Amino acid sequence: MDFGLSREQEMLRKTVREFAENELRPREAEFSQPEGEWPYDVWNRIAELGLIGLAVPKEYGGSGMGHLARMVAIEEISRVYPGWGAHLRGFGLVPYLLLNHGTEEQKKKYIPRLVKGEIQGSLANTEATGGSDMIGIETTAKLDGDHYIINGRKVMISRSTVSDVFAVTARTGERDRDISAILIEANTPGFQRGRVENLIAHSRTSPVGEFTMTDCRVPVANRVGAEHRGLGVILGAINGAGRTGGAGICLGIAQAAVEIGTKYAKERHLYGKPLTDLQSILFWIGEMERHVVRARWLCYHAAWLLDQGKRPEEIRAEIAMAKLDASEAALHNCLKAIEIHGAYGTATEFGLIRKFKAALDMIAAAGSNNISRLIMSGATVEKY
Amino acid sequence: MDIIVCIKQVPNPEHFSKITIDPQKGTIRREGIPAVVNPLDRHALEEALRIRERFSGKVTAISMGPPQAREALEEALAMGIDDAVLLCDRAFAGADTLATAYALAGAIKKLGKFDLVLCGNETVDGATGQVGPQVAELLGVGHVTYVNKVEFVDGESLIATRTIERGCLKVKVRLPALLAVVREINKFRLPTALSIIEATKKEIKTWTNKDIGAREETIGLSGSPTQVTGGFKLELKRKCEILDDSPEVMAKEAVEKLRELGAI
Amino acid sequence: MMNEVWIWAEQRGGRLLGISLELLNKGLELSNELKAELAAILIGDRAQNLAQELIAYGAGKIYLIEDPKLKLYQSDIYARIMAGLIEQHKPQILLLGGTAIGMDLAPRVAAKVKTGLTAHCVDLYIEEINNNPCLVAVVPGFGGNLMVKIVCPQQRPQMATVKPGVMEMPSRNEKRAGQIMKVEAQIKDEEFKCQTIEMVEQEPTGVPLEESAVVVAGGWGLNSAGGFKLVEELAEVLGGAVAGTRPAVDAGWISEEQMLGSSGKTISPRLLISIGASGQMHFTTGFLKSKVIVAINNNPKSPIFEVCDIGLVGDLRKIVPCLVEDISSRAPRTHRRADFSSSIPASR
Repeated sequence: MDFGLSREQEMLRKTVREFAENELRPREAEFSQPEGEWPYDVWNRIAELGLIGLAVPKEYGGSGMGHLARMVAIEEISRVYPGWGAHLRGFGLVPYLLLNHGTEEQKKKYIPRLVKGEIQGSLANTEATGGSDMIGIETTAKLDGDHYIINGRKVMISRSTVSDVFAVTARTGERDRDISAILIEANTPGFQRGRVENLIAHSRTSPVGEFTMTDCRVPVANRVGAEHRGLGVILGAINGAGRTGGAGICLGIAQAAVEIGTKYAKERHLYGKPLTDLQSILFWIGEMERHVVRARWLCYHAAWLLDQGKRPEEIRAEIAMAKLDASEAALHNCLKAIEIHGAYGTATEFGLIRKFKAALDMIAAAGSNNISRLIMSGATVEKY
Repeated sequence: MDIIVCIKQVPNPEHFSKITIDPQKGTIRREGIPAVVNPLDRHALEEALRIRERFSGKVTAISMGPPQAREALEEALAMGIDDAVLLCDRAFAGADTLATAYALAGAIKKLGKFDLVLCGNETVDGATGQVGPQVAELLGVGHVTYVNKVEFVDGESLIATRTIERGCLKVKVRLPALLAVVREINKFRLPTALSIIEATKKEIKTWTNKDIGAREETIGLSGSPTQVTGGFKLELKRKCEILDDSPEVMAKEAVEKLRELGAI
Repeated sequence: MMNEVWIWAEQRGGRLLGISLELLNKGLELSNELKAELAAILIGDRAQNLAQELIAYGAGKIYLIEDPKLKLYQSDIYARIMAGLIEQHKPQILLLGGTAIGMDLAPRVAAKVKTGLTAHCVDLYIEEINNNPCLVAVVPGFGGNLMVKIVCPQQRPQMATVKPGVMEMPSRNEKRAGQIMKVEAQIKDEEFKCQTIEMVEQEPTGVPLEESAVVVAGGWGLNSAGGFKLVEELAEVLGGAVAGTRPAVDAGWISEEQMLGSSGKTISPRLLISIGASGQMHFTTGFLKSKVIVAINNNPKSPIFEVCDIGLVGDLRKIVPCLVEDISSRAPRTHRRADFSSSIPASR
């Protein structure tokens, strides 16, 4: 088994790390400000480097490097500023959706522009009735000739104030599961952006908000995938690109925490010795590393399987375990790093609280951890 | 405009504190230290790319080093240059700047006609800044070091602005010539996903001394007039001379000590 | 081969650079040991008076090349002339200043005469190698972490560029005698592959903290002095940069960019003076690699005194003004010493 990354993946990691260190790290404070315009210039840089289209084939403007490359890029960015890793993940869902279920016209219309960063797209499934409870949604899309009339309200949508096009889930039939995935552009009459949530990790860079659709007329040609088959379409994106992307974010956070914690422990002296001389702290450091290394292999393997052509449903257990494991590694490592810093652990200058907040966000985001447990446990029961 | 860029793979400066001297042999031990493209060489590569964008032509990078140095050439290709050559041969090993210059000049002559040779002004390891001017001498072309700006007059000459202490000199340069660049000249681009994929498709040529035909006594250890005879690691043990007296006395004593140490 | 030790006396704008005199001093030392004559090469325009100065500072012989076309540094001509003199007289040793121009000229000359050249030397001495007195050059390598010794056992002259501001200055004696050998430049216009057409002088803008050779860093202790004025004064007379601790940033005395330590910058200047800071690890880690560290604090138990070379225990309000006075009262020099006493910092 060759566990090495390819030369291209290594070079990609190097370039993304350099980008993150030189262009994101100096602006952390700026990105974390609560109010302000979304930093489009950073997104343009990310597009310039070709990071949006890593898992998009060349014919639609991407590089076709694959999902493992995408995960590495998300990991490297999240290691410095998880919020941008979240965007690289989130903005990759609509392209993924279209690649797997879109018509040729839809692909050609949207993907190249999404990859270039000219427009942004978000998945919008969650409603007040819940996120994981997809069948509980209440948004409707009534057929009227060759248009759908969409009514509903989506909440907790990341980047709601930034995206130009949304892939929404809406009821198109009588039965519980008659849900379709439809693309709606934000400039559609009746589409109204609403308030932004005050989440713990909220900042100008990471807006999460709601929008309402009131009698929005959207061409039937905007539906992605077969009628009433939207759940599979959306779930495919959430499981495939979404969860693997979420795993990448958590990996980056976990990695950052072990680096920050270890460096501090080497420098800080107490009782005349560096902290690393205290065995309890020394062991924490080793454990942090073990967590992120273990999580990394689970995550890379899942992404690698996608690149081998496996469909997300086929590898749903691997993907679920990867995200869950990486999320727990991120939480564990952040907590331990904070403890190592003693009273300084919660001081803003060390950046740990920001990383920890992002880790807390990631419990529920990108496919919640409990859904991961559901998936992996169900798969285990089937397996044996 | 056909440009050749000389690059070098060097130990990552962030890990310099791990480099040691072998106490018995007096040789420098740098195994296991991660390597990078010499930072100033990236500015040289960037400048070459910008000139190519303006005038069209070909950019070729060459590097003299062990087999591992091909990674540096891969990164140069990932920035977007056209071609890369690795000069790798036991005969080149142990070279000081003059012997290195002989090997590089030999390779450049073999590459054929060129308009410009670019290189970083110095490397982070040796930091001599000597190879550039010595290559120029062996090629019989003019050179300018510390170049922070290049302005083309026409296809045959350019004005190079070069840093000196407290100012600059403007130098009119006849092509072909060699320019050694400093950090202020440009901001270099990062490889993109697409350029990385294009780069891995390209083949890096490997040349030995047979390919360039340099006389054995001019290259490698035998071609090196200078030799390292030993070294020592700077001890960072502090003297901790604590003075406790009147301010005037302490200040006088401190200033005298600092002068002796060459600190002021 | 002539038993001569040569130095290149760089002049700019009609003035000798300080390094040229430092080279003379070192050259004198080496020539005394080798029982050789000390000569200087001086190239420029109407430089007769500078030649006299070089003699007063100890050069026994000056090779003087004067031409209006050589007022500014011209790489092709300077190198050709120097190589020509070397081929003619075959000196043992040739030293040049490690200035931006010396670093440009020396390698070209070394390649012309096919000899060895060592860069940025901080020390030079003679050692017997195979019964031959050879020049040993000591140079810092790998960012200054290692010191390496280099020799050129066979080729001659043994060439070296010397880091400005390290060697001592010689003494001046009007009564010294010496020879001035005029050498014709014989410039042909085709020779100019490169031609310096203009020198633009600029006052140095603020040197970035990371590149400053001297840094004065203050901590919370400056509160007793009402602020950073003392730090700034000391930095000014030393030509250094101002830095400090996190509390100094919070007090508004310095900006975040000037903060040193694990959440700030890490620097390794030639001299770091810490004033009024207790010396906690997360601060001192920002400058532990400095060449020389001086600490001023009124508490002898402060950890800063464990990481300094020279520590002054007492009231900074009294100590710093004394330092400022002692430093600014250095004996003035007859020639403007170029105070770029580290050569242009190696670009990172």
